[in-house]
Amino acid sequence: MKTDLTYSDAYSKLEELVEQLEEGNIPLDKLSLKVKQANELISICENKLRNIQTEVNETIKAVTKRQKKKGSG
Amino acid sequence: MQDIIKLSQLVEQIQETIQTQFDNEVFWISARIMDVKKYETNRRCYLKLEEYENGIKTTEIRAVFWANYYHEIEKFEKVIKQPFKDGTEIICKVKVRFHKVYGLNLDVMQIDVAHTLGILELERQQTLEKLLKENPKTIQLFDGVYKTYNNRLQLPLVIENIALITAPNSDGQRDFQQEIKRNKHDYTFSVTEFLTTIQGDTAHKLILEQLNLIEKNKQRFDVVAIVRGGGSQTDFKPFDDYELSKCVANFSIPIFTGIGHDRNQSTVDLMAREQKTPTKVASLFIEHNFEFENSLIDLKTRLADAVKEGLENAKDELGHAKRIVKLSSPQAILNRGFAIIMSNNKIVVDPKTIKENSQLQTLLKDETIYSTVTKKTKNENRLNI
Repeated sequence: MKTDLTYSDAYSKLEELVEQLEEGNIPLDKLSLKVKQANELISICENKLRNIQTEVNETIKAVTKRQKKKGSG
Repeated sequence: MQDIIKLSQLVEQIQETIQTQFDNEVFWISARIMDVKKYETNRRCYLKLEEYENGIKTTEIRAVFWANYYHEIEKFEKVIKQPFKDGTEIICKVKVRFHKVYGLNLDVMQIDVAHTLGILELERQQTLEKLLKENPKTIQLFDGVYKTYNNRLQLPLVIENIALITAPNSDGQRDFQQEIKRNKHDYTFSVTEFLTTIQGDTAHKLILEQLNLIEKNKQRFDVVAIVRGGGSQTDFKPFDDYELSKCVANFSIPIFTGIGHDRNQSTVDLMAREQKTPTKVASLFIEHNFEFENSLIDLKTRLADAVKEGLENAKDELGHAKRIVKLSSPQAILNRGFAIIMSNNKIVVDPKTIKENSQLQTLLKDETIYSTVTKKTKNENRLNI
């Protein structure tokens, strides 16, 4: 799945996928794949709310800064 | 040579004349206030009352609010929500006083607050009418509600990047930021502050400048919040300004106001999405994201249910197929009283292959009958078993 998907696109795709599943339009052998895709879409939406990636980046930045400071001091 | 009298004698005569003429009588007058000097500690206010005709000053007199009437100014500011300041037109009750040293003065005893309120309301109504008239495509009035280009903009599903217009070190700034930071759901918000004075005569221009700055970086923001709060309840005039209201109505990012007041909404409030306080604006953003999370939870539940149902359906279908297969087995058929006819160890499917004198085996549930065909006829009707 494309990782540069925006969260609002992810949300629309998720809605679509759930509707397809509810209508029973997904063959059994594709079910596992679709559930995996749905979980990825959910992650994109949840990350938007709490921006986990940004927080991780901020932490990495902060740690790198501290290490640099220690190194120079 | 004429008789010379002392200055005091003349001034006393003036004083007597004035006292006789006015005899503590009170008057309601309309005037413009200028050179207002308030001394809050000893509760006095010195000012000038003026009158103009065609822009030219025709009358001016000094006036004073003494301590026992100073509360009138406080009442004015509380009700009007604007400072008692130069240029305001008022109606007030006065008494003429003459002092031998300080001269002629009017003691102000009461202000007709309702009159000033009426003027302000009239100005506000005129601004609203002008906004409707000059911006028919982007500002409309439906059932007493102002629908503008801005307040009809769709909000993103999640609000994350906020442009905050507020005064530095103000209660509004603090309240908004605190509410955003302590959101119990731990949602991430990025707040960029656009700090400016939002009170006083030039405030509307300064707020406009900040909006222009935001417009230049509009891709970076989901919403704009204009907040002020706590502290002073005075001076909401900037938020009734025509140019600022017009800019807000036509702005391309949804604007929320939390400028903390309880009188009629300002015109800027009407052009945007209004919340009463900075805290309420912040909590609305949190609530908006909470709604998104709830709809996500709903989708997750539906997803789990749909998968469960899909699997159960598949299981049911498999069970059904198994039952059919079981019922279709030759043994099951024999058990139900049917027979299988074989010839040369092959099941006879087409009776045309059987001729008279052919050797047949009839397989029943428990026994096999060996026979020779003596006669063959067509069935006239379908068997009725």
